[in-house]
Amino acid sequence: MTLDRTLVAELEAIVGAKHVRTDPGDVEPYARDATPVFRAVPDAVVWPADTEQVAALLRLATERRVPVVPRGAGSNLCAATVPERGGIVLVLTRMDRILEISPGELLARVEAGVPTSVLADAAAAQGLLYAPDPGSRTVSTVGGNVATCAGGLRGLKYGVTRNYVLGTTAVLPTGEVISTGGRLWKDVAGYDLTRLLTGSEGTLGVLTELTVALLPMPATTNTGVAYFGSLAEAGRAVDAIIGDGIVPATLEFLDAKCIGAVEEYANLGLRLDAGALLLFGDDGPADVVDRNLGRIGEQCTISGALEVTLAEDVARSEALLTARRCSLPALSRLGTLTLLEDATVPRPRLAAMVDRIDEIADRYEVPMATFGHAGDGNLHPTCVVDQRDEAAIHRAHKAFGDVFAAAIEMDGTITGEHGVGAAKLPYLAARLGADQMALLRRIKAAFDPAGILNPGKLGS
Amino acid sequence: MTGLQHPPHEQHMATPPGRGIFDPQLLDRCISCGFCLPACPTYAVSKDEGSSPRGRITLMRALETGRLDEDDPRLREESSFCLGCRACEPVCPAGVQYGDLLEEWRDHQWRGRHRPPLAQALMMVAERTPLLRMMGLVRRHARTAAVPVQTSLMLGCFERGLFPGVSRAVRTLLPDIAVPPQQGCCGALHAHNGESEKGRELARKLGEQLPGTIVTTAGGCAAHLAGVLGRDRVHELSEHLAKTGATPVGEVKIDGRRARVAIQDSCHLRNGLRVFAEPRALISAVADFVPVRGDESCCGSAGTYSLLRPRDSKRILAPKLDAYEAAGVDYVVTVNPGCQQQLHANLRRRESAIRAVHLADLLAAAAEGRPLTRGRRWRVPRVRFDLRRGSRRRGASGGTAGWSA
Ligand SMILES: Cc1cc2nc3c(=O)[nH]c(=O)nc-3n(C[C@H](O)[C@H](O)[C@H](O)COP(=O)(O)OP(=O)(O)OC[C@H]3O[C@@H](n4cnc5c(N)ncnc54)[C@H](O)[C@@H]3O)c2cc1C
Ligand code: SF4
Ligand code: SF4
Repeated sequence: MTLDRTLVAELEAIVGAKHVRTDPGDVEPYARDATPVFRAVPDAVVWPADTEQVAALLRLATERRVPVVPRGAGSNLCAATVPERGGIVLVLTRMDRILEISPGELLARVEAGVPTSVLADAAAAQGLLYAPDPGSRTVSTVGGNVATCAGGLRGLKYGVTRNYVLGTTAVLPTGEVISTGGRLWKDVAGYDLTRLLTGSEGTLGVLTELTVALLPMPATTNTGVAYFGSLAEAGRAVDAIIGDGIVPATLEFLDAKCIGAVEEYANLGLRLDAGALLLFGDDGPADVVDRNLGRIGEQCTISGALEVTLAEDVARSEALLTARRCSLPALSRLGTLTLLEDATVPRPRLAAMVDRIDEIADRYEVPMATFGHAGDGNLHPTCVVDQRDEAAIHRAHKAFGDVFAAAIEMDGTITGEHGVGAAKLPYLAARLGADQMALLRRIKAAFDPAGILNPGKLGS
Repeated sequence: MTGLQHPPHEQHMATPPGRGIFDPQLLDRCISCGFCLPACPTYAVSKDEGSSPRGRITLMRALETGRLDEDDPRLREESSFCLGCRACEPVCPAGVQYGDLLEEWRDHQWRGRHRPPLAQALMMVAERTPLLRMMGLVRRHARTAAVPVQTSLMLGCFERGLFPGVSRAVRTLLPDIAVPPQQGCCGALHAHNGESEKGRELARKLGEQLPGTIVTTAGGCAAHLAGVLGRDRVHELSEHLAKTGATPVGEVKIDGRRARVAIQDSCHLRNGLRVFAEPRALISAVADFVPVRGDESCCGSAGTYSLLRPRDSKRILAPKLDAYEAAGVDYVVTVNPGCQQQLHANLRRRESAIRAVHLADLLAAAAEGRPLTRGRRWRVPRVRFDLRRGSRRRGASGGTAGWSA
């Protein structure tokens, strides 16, 4: 579809001519996000400056039945911002002000387009911690994080984005501006719409302002690494650590293929003969951190670790975290198309799930490596193929279908943190069942009767 | 166990073959993760994906597959709006060689008559060694007899005429270095303006004229030369001093106290050759080094950029000058003549008390115990290029010519 001239003029009247683009070269870069393969070109891109402009845009879109896709930084991995039905991409990057940081109330108020790390740095400058730290935090926006309920490396101890959203200002597709929650830790007046909007992937409303909770900055952090002969042993160690009463901030794992790829890429001096690597870290007062890391190390040794090392300084600690953070790019260098998923299972079934993934990869003859968050059972099986090899891409997709089925069979889910978007919508019914799918659609219709907001994604 | 229902609208089409404008190895590397967005100066001012590294790669892909044709106005605009600063490279987890992609893009997009006439004119001048020699003669750069030696100083095509004092300062620091006057342009100018083959040819020729190690005071030239002649043969000045273990002597003082000195990195030196610690260490040895937020990002000189896109160039520079002034420094050290010209001219224009000075000048002044001279006025009538009308105007008053090579 193309937009008629009068509609374009009306868009321009709302946000200014400079902030509306419709030429092919101007809209092409908005045809995709960080998800490989998926791509669809929008008809227009608009950059509103404030909540009122967003409201006017959505009212107009509902009136004219034009799809609108909200977009932050476009770093999501589930094709959530790919405008599959064309229409307007609404970019929030101009709304990038930090409105308030309140050390007294331990909260911050920001516009939706503020990059996550900008918020984290501003909080840190006042001795405060914004806990959610997705690997993409230098790129992603706070609005995008809330809309996808982003997780991160500290999920086990600190939870995910959901646990830090106190309130939102959201514009409904029909143009009403609502304020949910607020500056309160306790507030049970009404359904918890803040939680509903969190993770709604831009299908229920456009978030324009967020109030998020902050924590006092922990005094120190430290990291250690343990190598195991197999992932099963690493899995046992994770159970032992938590069984010992410790909930570390970080508990991440790499399988043997990832260790190889990361070492090849970053030369960190990792052990190449190990079957799995477990990265653990904690933060807090120095003596507590030291004691906890010591106990974690002990549990690893008891569970059969080949070797346990604690980072002797901050630089080494950073290097170890780099090993985990660069897993994806390191793997991506093995081919030209990197397909990444994030199936999640209950923590005790982690090792069994990794075995299943290996078996599936063998069956479909696709190379698959797995890394992820051992603490919360969130796995990132990653398949690297040649982007011109149609057959291999097809086999990889089949293999992932089996991986999702296996996850569900183990009481797990098809996505732990990356979201559903267009990429995983076809698998959603298998996870939720027909009744919940129908309820999702009714909720969607209640918010968005004309079905204009991010159509073809959640709630479709 | 059976897999879940295969998605009906599955889009897993393989990438179609391209038109051969880009090396597929380079173009395929990008995983569209967006990590480069926060590093890009043009994205910072535009907040538009199309003016980001990832967006530009998307545009290149559209050009390669034919989804957009080369006359698309946005393609043309982005091939020139990009500074070519390569700040997107060190932050890229997938190792995308953006600088190489940009060269291939401009080779195609700016071929023949599509090239900006001003860039064409500069390249023609730079290719003519006798002309360069003449400019240098008038301005008295350093020179020695041309004897086959281990190490010689590269004079730079425009630098030798514009900042002849820099090569003289190098001779103060390195009395034994050879400075043969018979040397041409390194070709970086060509490589960045749609003539990458010619750029490589000029670099090879310079490599023959200056056998052995080539020392240069121009970060941009160093990166280009190293790319063609090999990393080992090329030393940027600060790198050379660090490698040869030379310890800076003396101190730069102002009003009896140590001078406060910031730096403006050279983009290609930093992002291409990853040299940035060395000049900082040298500055710290002779003055109080002041880190300034954004001192690593592009100053907007960017080769011919400040001439081709003066408004964007100033827009990118302005917040940086604010930051230097807020930091209250006395000098900003540069390691590339284009940056020197850009900072010198624009600091002057805003009547700032800060002066831009090349690293060689700073170190030579410290060594000789002399006060640093004020940034020198470039005494030619100001020549303004009005690009939209393609005409040239002669300014009434003297000022700075916007050269940068
Ligand atoms: C290398 C890499 C590492 C990553 N690591 C992690 C990780 O560790 N944990 C994790 O959870 N994710 C991770 N991600 C995924 C991604 O960064 C997150 O999903 C992030 O929250 C997306 O933020 P964004 O601003 O880019 O949103 P976008 O990608 O622009 O949008 C994502 C979704 O949110 C919607 N949306 C965006 N802004 C708004 C708004 N203001 N109002 C309403 N809807 C909106 C969009 O419509 C879309 O549905 C990673 C991605 C990459 C490329
Ligand atoms: S950081 Fe590298 S891989 Fe990621 S989008 Fe930018 S160029 Fe592509
Ligand atoms: S070279 Fe510089 S301006 Fe061009 S895309 Fe990269 S970071 Fe941006």
